[in-house]
Amino acid sequence: MYQRFYTALLIVSSVALFIFTLMAGYREITPDYKSYKSEYRDLFRSKATGEFMKKKAESIDFSVQQVYLGKLNRIDRCINCHLGVENPLMEDAEVPFKMHSGNYLETHPVAEFGCTVCHYGQGRATNAEDAHGTDRETHWDWPILPLKYIDSACAQCHDQEMLAENGADRVLRGEKQFVEKGCRGCHKVNGIGGVLGKALDGIGTQPRAYFPMRYVQGDKTAYTWLKEHFDDPRSIVPESEMRIVLLKDEDADLLTTYILTIRADEMPRDYRRIRTGTQEVPGGEELYKMYCIACHTTGKYSVYDEIFKRTIPAIMNPTFLRVADDNQLRRFIEDGRANTQMTDWKEDAAGLTDDEIGRIVEFLAKSRPAKRGKLFGRSIFDGDTARGRDIYETRCALCHGEDGMGGKNRLGISLVTPVVKEADPEFLLQTVRDGREGTPMIPFGSSGINLSDQDILDVVGYVRTIKPTASPKE
Amino acid sequence: MSGETQGKRKFSRRDFLGLATIWAAVISGFTVLAGVFRMTKANVYYEDSKKFKIGKPEEFPIGTVKQLDEKRVFIFASNDGLHAITSVCTHLGCIVAATDWGFQCPCHGSQFNSDGKVIAGPAPRPLPWLEVSRHVDGNLMVDASKEVKPGTKVKIYL
Amino acid sequence: MENSKETGIKKLLENIKKLKSSMAASYIREGKPESDMSRAAVMFNNFFLHFQGVKTHLNTLRPTYTFGLGLIALFLLVFTTISGFLLMIYYNPSIEHAYNTVKDIRYVVFGGDLTRNIHKWAGEGMLIFVILHMARVLYTGSYKRGREFNWVIGIVLLSLTFVLNFTGYLLPWDQLSYWALVIGSNIAQSPKEITDILGITKFFDIGGFQKELLLGGTIPGKETLTRVYFLHIMLLPLFLFTFLGAHFWRVRKDGGLTKPDDFVPSISPEKMGGIFTTHKTYGLMALARGKTPAVDRDVENTVLSWPHLLRAETAVFMLTLAGVLIYSYFVSAPLKELAAPLIPENPAKAPWYFLGLQELVSYSAFMGGIALPSLALLGLGLIPYLDREQDHVGVWFSSRQGLYVTITSFIVGTAVLIGILVIVINFGWFRNWWPDVPQVLITLVNPGTIWVAFTIAWSVLVINRTDSTRMGALALFTLFLLSFLILTYVGTELRGPNWEFYWSRSQWPVH
Repeated sequence: MYQRFYTALLIVSSVALFIFTLMAGYREITPDYKSYKSEYRDLFRSKATGEFMKKKAESIDFSVQQVYLGKLNRIDRCINCHLGVENPLMEDAEVPFKMHSGNYLETHPVAEFGCTVCHYGQGRATNAEDAHGTDRETHWDWPILPLKYIDSACAQCHDQEMLAENGADRVLRGEKQFVEKGCRGCHKVNGIGGVLGKALDGIGTQPRAYFPMRYVQGDKTAYTWLKEHFDDPRSIVPESEMRIVLLKDEDADLLTTYILTIRADEMPRDYRRIRTGTQEVPGGEELYKMYCIACHTTGKYSVYDEIFKRTIPAIMNPTFLRVADDNQLRRFIEDGRANTQMTDWKEDAAGLTDDEIGRIVEFLAKSRPAKRGKLFGRSIFDGDTARGRDIYETRCALCHGEDGMGGKNRLGISLVTPVVKEADPEFLLQTVRDGREGTPMIPFGSSGINLSDQDILDVVGYVRTIKPTASPKE
Repeated sequence: MSGETQGKRKFSRRDFLGLATIWAAVISGFTVLAGVFRMTKANVYYEDSKKFKIGKPEEFPIGTVKQLDEKRVFIFASNDGLHAITSVCTHLGCIVAATDWGFQCPCHGSQFNSDGKVIAGPAPRPLPWLEVSRHVDGNLMVDASKEVKPGTKVKIYL
Repeated sequence: MENSKETGIKKLLENIKKLKSSMAASYIREGKPESDMSRAAVMFNNFFLHFQGVKTHLNTLRPTYTFGLGLIALFLLVFTTISGFLLMIYYNPSIEHAYNTVKDIRYVVFGGDLTRNIHKWAGEGMLIFVILHMARVLYTGSYKRGREFNWVIGIVLLSLTFVLNFTGYLLPWDQLSYWALVIGSNIAQSPKEITDILGITKFFDIGGFQKELLLGGTIPGKETLTRVYFLHIMLLPLFLFTFLGAHFWRVRKDGGLTKPDDFVPSISPEKMGGIFTTHKTYGLMALARGKTPAVDRDVENTVLSWPHLLRAETAVFMLTLAGVLIYSYFVSAPLKELAAPLIPENPAKAPWYFLGLQELVSYSAFMGGIALPSLALLGLGLIPYLDREQDHVGVWFSSRQGLYVTITSFIVGTAVLIGILVIVINFGWFRNWWPDVPQVLITLVNPGTIWVAFTIAWSVLVINRTDSTRMGALALFTLFLLSFLILTYVGTELRGPNWEFYWSRSQWPVH
């Protein structure tokens, strides 16, 4: 029954099936790369002169080709479109047929290195869009690396000096930016560096989803993200506490190149060409730039920081240095200042060696005035704390807070920290008396508010007794 | 003997044997089944230990929050001590993100305050506080398999 | 000897000559299907055909009665099975290689991309057609008159189809797989919500057991992929085919598909042909006691299965195959980035067919993930036992009243469900109003449970008003179908990052 209906259905379906099977088959046997291959063959033919070359042009293999790189755990099929990379006739041809620039392929033969190990991208793909993977919809984690960052790939196997000698000095120049802009003041690399930002270990191999791409203007790739976020971190990540890295466009590219060399993976030993030698020991000024400059800038003036909502003290201020001797400075750096963004930098925390801290102290001490302040001559705190409390509340509480904890929207720093607790009497007394030039801390001694030495002794005595409240006041 | 049984229990020896056989089969069947299901539960897992060292106390300055991504835990350091809160949402196991006011889960919109208490969304329980202890070598240890009462902090300063 | 040798060779040559016809005759033992007798015998004596009747009722062939839905679901299963075999040749179930082999299937296997698409879309198509088939069975009252248990088997098959699709979704080991696995395994763990409230998690952690059974650990990893693969290619298909066999066997034993009692054929009886003159039966009359199930009283309204039924089946087969192929030609199966356990997707969504559940899960994990789906399956399974009215079988919506009840239920249900969703989306739920509300209250009273309570109340109301349990069944099923549709749509299209409400995907903040 319903014979006509079912027969018609059968015929129509069968015809549709037949047509689409043929279409699917046709699509299978005509992948994108075949048209590239025939285009390349025509080009090759037109350029080929000798008998040998003409023969080669005719013998292009139209089936899919790949470079199987077992040790690198990669498969690269780029050569199905980028056909002329090893063909000297293609020196002036257009991409994708152009010969590889420079003489890199002489030392890095395609059969041994493939393509994606330097250029990234998706070696397994067989069409341009997926292989390059810059479009987010291709769902590919490591898109092709723009040529301006290509030096970063070299650093997988080569040390930077070797690269610099051979003209690939962008990594080295990028590292210089990395050091001078003080990135390590907040970001740890290999366990050394500040704690305010995310550790950068393995950042060069993080998948695309690691980077919030929402506000990125250009391609939604890690490369663009990195570069754009140097310009204005909060335009890329609104809640970021990172400060704007003032960079010229070109330097931003260099810095991006360097950041991309910080990878989580390691090349197999056969591929690596790292010379082991003694590294140059960085000097005090360089260390200061690397770890301190991001927050303290030049160190001459204290500034109220809009992001941290607190004041960052001037550490090369003469009045500060006059009262803080080398040991004091070293203690500040080693132990940090609890409750502030100043972390403890000693070796088992942020990772600076004693020697490195010594060199930073040495650098800071260069700005110390020759003349020391008048000594109080005290080695213990013996002020009248009850009297000191009255003075504190009238004179100090406005900036440092009733609870002595400084913090948000207050000009003063927290006084309830181990640094103050453990400080030398002379250091605290002199600081109160002479103030801190270039900061809101004015002299409270004869040169300013005119408190007597006894007043200062009392108030410092009181400050040392303040107990921390439950949590920092918001 | 058989007559007595028959009289008391009101069923024949044959009934008894039949029932006993059936029950023996059922019980042994379930025992086998229990064994089979037990076999599917692995005795060891190929994953990171739930108990791990997080470093020396000095690495956690007062006032900081550290997210240890791979350990799926947040470490809070405040004046009263140090505590660890998991970053795994109690709803369906997504990883929560720290915000100004607490934690936000991206999967079903659960929100927690900074103590881990649920303030919105479907999460059935607060984010657990994990046990923090000191190892003999001075390092701090977190045991992600042991929960502690919210508010339990380990004193490490002052 | 000389003589017999000659005859032997001769015999052999003779046999070789006859090879074609003798082989055909050995397979089709009753000769060419030229007479009604031999046509009947073809069906009867052939292993692959004999699970269908020799004669087929005209109503079964009526395209607008079945729309071929069950058959399409079966053929989709065939396609997805065959394409699955092909994919298994290349796929490697290890977390190091799974993703790469799927990529390779896509890029360098001849027809690989198409095969993967067919596998994916035929599998998901199965879900749709199984549900549609179920709707057809329900709306025509085909779960009655001895078919009650077959309806229950159907529910089991529906659940297996869901789980098979879900396990398949996990195999490529991309971000979608990984986070669907995280969510799925935690739904399995969600009875913890109840055991926590009861305070017995320490002794009886059924949720934790279920999760670890699936994952082989506490987070998805290499053990998980092995288990999911085993479930997907071995255990679940084994169950599916076993239950499917039972399903068909019962259809056959129940006398084929249902048909209206007052069926009027549109062709003259003499055209139909036939060898039976009186009643036909499907029971072992002489051996077993009791009533024989479903005896046909209108043998005269049947035609021979060969060629009528087989022609229809072949047509549906080709239609299904063409449909799947054309859809797969144009639409590619998704494949996202490689799984990154530390970077959750935002929004992390389950596959679309679970997004209705995920919407429920966003109110309460246990209720949405375990209790309500189980309740729904239980309720569906009980329909044939709660509605035992035996009239109007084989008629769409049973009667005009049935159609009216279905439409009314649809309209009222849509209004109520959308109303509930509007409240949830605009005003939140208990916790937004009273932050300290105990969890047990949210678990028990949430939009999902309220909706289920409404569907039950509405069905009871319909039964009360119409004095017919059949009408209640229509109302209940309509509400079930409707909530599946609406919740799936909301979960798929209207929920964005952080599971917040967006009118469309284009409004999502680009991630």
